[in-house]
Amino acid sequence: MTETTTTEPWLDSNQKPYIQIESVTKKFGDFTAIDNLSLDIYKNEFFSLLGPSGCGKTTLLRMLAGFERFTEGRVLVDGEDISEIPPHLRPINMMFQSYALFPHMTVEKNIAFGLKQDKLPDNIINQRVEEMLELVELTDFAKRKPGQLSGGQSQRVALARSLAKQPKLLLLDEPLGALDKRLREQTQFELMDIQEKLEVTFVIVTHDQEEAMTVSSRIGVMDSGKLIQVATPTQIYEAPINREVADFIGDVNIFKGIYKGQDETGTQLLSEDSKSIIYATQKVDVPVGNRIWFALRPEKLEITRKLPEVDFNILKGKIEDIGYGGSFSTYHVKLENGRQLTAIRANRERTAEHHLTWGDEVYLHWAPHSAVVLLS
Amino acid sequence: MSIKEIQIPAFLKRTFNGRNVAISIPYLWLLLLFLFPFVIVLKISLAQPVIAMPPYTPLFSWGDSLWPKIQAGLDSYLFLFSDSLYIKAYLSSIKIATISTVLTLIIGYAIAYSIARAPTRWRGILLMLVILPFWTSFLIRVYAWIGILKTEGLLNLALMTLGVIEKPLIIMNTDLAVYIGIVYSYLPFMILPLYANLEKMDMNLLEAAADLGCRPFKTFWTVTIPLSLPGILAGCFLVFIPVIGEFVIPDLLGGTKTLMIGKVLWGEFFYNRDWPVASAVAIIMLLLLIVPIILYQKSQEKAIS
Amino acid sequence: MTRFSKFNVSAIIIGFTFLYLPIILLILFSFNESRLVTVWAGFSTKWYVELMQNQGIKDAAWVTFKVAFISSSVATFLGTIAGLVMTRFGKFRGRTLFSGMIYAPMVMPEVILGLSTLLTFITLAIDRGVLTVTLAHITFSMCYVSVIIQSRMSSYDDSINEAALDLGCTPFRTFLLITFPIILPAVVSGWLLSFTMSLDDLVIASFTSGPGSTTLPMKIYSMVRLGVTPEINAVSTILVGLVTAGVITASLIGKRQRQQLAQS
Repeated sequence: MTETTTTEPWLDSNQKPYIQIESVTKKFGDFTAIDNLSLDIYKNEFFSLLGPSGCGKTTLLRMLAGFERFTEGRVLVDGEDISEIPPHLRPINMMFQSYALFPHMTVEKNIAFGLKQDKLPDNIINQRVEEMLELVELTDFAKRKPGQLSGGQSQRVALARSLAKQPKLLLLDEPLGALDKRLREQTQFELMDIQEKLEVTFVIVTHDQEEAMTVSSRIGVMDSGKLIQVATPTQIYEAPINREVADFIGDVNIFKGIYKGQDETGTQLLSEDSKSIIYATQKVDVPVGNRIWFALRPEKLEITRKLPEVDFNILKGKIEDIGYGGSFSTYHVKLENGRQLTAIRANRERTAEHHLTWGDEVYLHWAPHSAVVLLS
Repeated sequence: MSIKEIQIPAFLKRTFNGRNVAISIPYLWLLLLFLFPFVIVLKISLAQPVIAMPPYTPLFSWGDSLWPKIQAGLDSYLFLFSDSLYIKAYLSSIKIATISTVLTLIIGYAIAYSIARAPTRWRGILLMLVILPFWTSFLIRVYAWIGILKTEGLLNLALMTLGVIEKPLIIMNTDLAVYIGIVYSYLPFMILPLYANLEKMDMNLLEAAADLGCRPFKTFWTVTIPLSLPGILAGCFLVFIPVIGEFVIPDLLGGTKTLMIGKVLWGEFFYNRDWPVASAVAIIMLLLLIVPIILYQKSQEKAIS
Repeated sequence: MTRFSKFNVSAIIIGFTFLYLPIILLILFSFNESRLVTVWAGFSTKWYVELMQNQGIKDAAWVTFKVAFISSSVATFLGTIAGLVMTRFGKFRGRTLFSGMIYAPMVMPEVILGLSTLLTFITLAIDRGVLTVTLAHITFSMCYVSVIIQSRMSSYDDSINEAALDLGCTPFRTFLLITFPIILPAVVSGWLLSFTMSLDDLVIASFTSGPGSTTLPMKIYSMVRLGVTPEINAVSTILVGLVTAGVITASLIGKRQRQQLAQS
């Protein structure tokens, strides 16, 4: 074991992955839910599986828990093959989307349930239950039944129950899905604190990309039973590998066109929208004449009434819609060919002098290094 | 040698796992005491009646020959079709069941609808009041009507005291009494599925229809009724199918002219002791009911899943 | 629409009068002094006293309770398994037939059930008596229990069981510690329904009973055929009273449990 605790173990070839999913396939009849998927997850990671519903992320999680047997492949935890171990013998615990609290047991009995299955002595069970109740701040609710708890309290009981056995790995299926927005944001930070404090490896399934960005060390974006990209939240957002990932995570403007070569400014794309050459710094290695795409996040588009003092990456259009979001505003700008782009601008001044309004003729501009070049 | 060392063959382990045992216990019970009996009924319907115990001939008999002599015949069935009493009884059962199902549906719908639209805190208690008579004895409930309907009964007494009628009405021992008895006894079976359906109905749909300019009566016909169709079907099956073979109500409330096939079967079995004919009556009744029963089963399975 | 409309109020009042008036009159006239059921001649409990001296009715009542208790207990056991098999076991060979055998007895005319079961007992050379009535009652009661369990399981969150497995509980213990306690109210109401149905049954018992196993409904039926008497009213009143008390108690227990388990 290496003593150096790196924050990015996946970049260190000396680090041994904690969970190794090796070419796993799961079929339900003719339907392939998981398609030859391989993934390494490291100790103490907070790993998110992100994807649209039906992409196979929950199936993958349930396979780790042992509720679904896979058709092919194997899964190792800490070097041990767990493929054939039934769920009740796995050193893995899961927190369910519906919380799945036992309705006929009190909060403390729910938390103690897993410990009792291990036949631990009563004093140890009681002590552990108390610790867990403190951890999730529910000591006063120990004698309540699940029916008497609020959504947020139930969520914390479910978390405490799944952590009580000190699992090597905790699986969380949409753990915050049933909470309202405010509570969800607050709980995200609590989850991160608990994960850090207890040093448990978390694998979380979510369809909420903001949640995944906030909590994760790494994100695996899934679609149709395959992992499309596995990377840190920043990489996923700033350097998506294809249009699908770019589109799934946050808002994005995609420019379609023909690759025209490279010069000192960067990659040249003949845009279908403006019929002009636009630039991105990032280099690519494809034959000239191939179809490629530029992806641009809305906040990276500069929107001005005056013509910018540069001679490239300028598009002209008219403001169609403005969405006021408090700290920022979203502008929908219609180009001359009818294409609509989205730009976001921070509202720095309370009463903007050069206030943009509906129908204004505006210019959109971006720095070449803000655009991502996509090949598919 | 400990028990653990005894090797259990793999195929035995596979056959006798918990899952298969759990399936097979109720399965075998129903096969033996529900399905197998119909085979027996079919077998006996092909036999001849004799004065003996049991009062029918065996299907196979070993005489002198090596091969068993098969004594199966359609005599009982031919007898059913030669005597118009049986055909009339079948037709009359269908008629009575149809009319009483429609009556039960109309009354049941009005009650179920009213309960479903009642204030929430009332619904539980009202529903409970519908279920309560359903738990009390069928026989007792039918019996209660005899005292009301008979010529010198409470209904006539009340009407004559009020001066509505001068001569007592003859209701007891007529088809009318049978209809009253059936509607009364089967009403809860109709109300429960209807209520379950109407209660779940999204009131916003009705509000949407009203909002779009649909008048209440038309909304009822074009929105409420079509949406409650599964409940209507379930309720009608629950009434129609058992009423076809109803015995207690026509026997106690109906007259000698009230023909119902359940009563005929009872008579053939208990009074005439003609078991083959009683079996043939049952088989024909079963053929009549098999399609509604399958439809009912399908609708129930869909409702539960 | 949270208020009663005029139509709704009248439908409920007329409907409930129709449902309850006959039973109320029946109870009322069980306390009538006169032998005539239609003329009120003053309050009396003499028919109840006479009932207590009628050995035939007391014997029949004992047989009926014995049959009802045993048949409802066995039916609850079998029906609960059948209900779980139907909802939790997914696909297995012969599932359609199984489901057919569960739903058909609920609507099958009783004369057919009675006749076919009796002929089977005769073919298998089982003597008619308390045993045969009990076996026949178990068969149709278990179907009702199974349907009650099935409808309870349809709103059962599967992840509750998975959570128990996940926390190290074996599948069998999961059933004992989690599933069974949660569905217990449905099991109890299944038992109660089986019990009262066995208590009520006339037709199937008439076919399948033998000497010495006359049930209360059979006894009442033979008395009714001889005419309406206050004695029948009295025995009916006792039965109605017992069942009503049972149903109300059960629903109160159920309500309290539902309040406790408000979440699931």
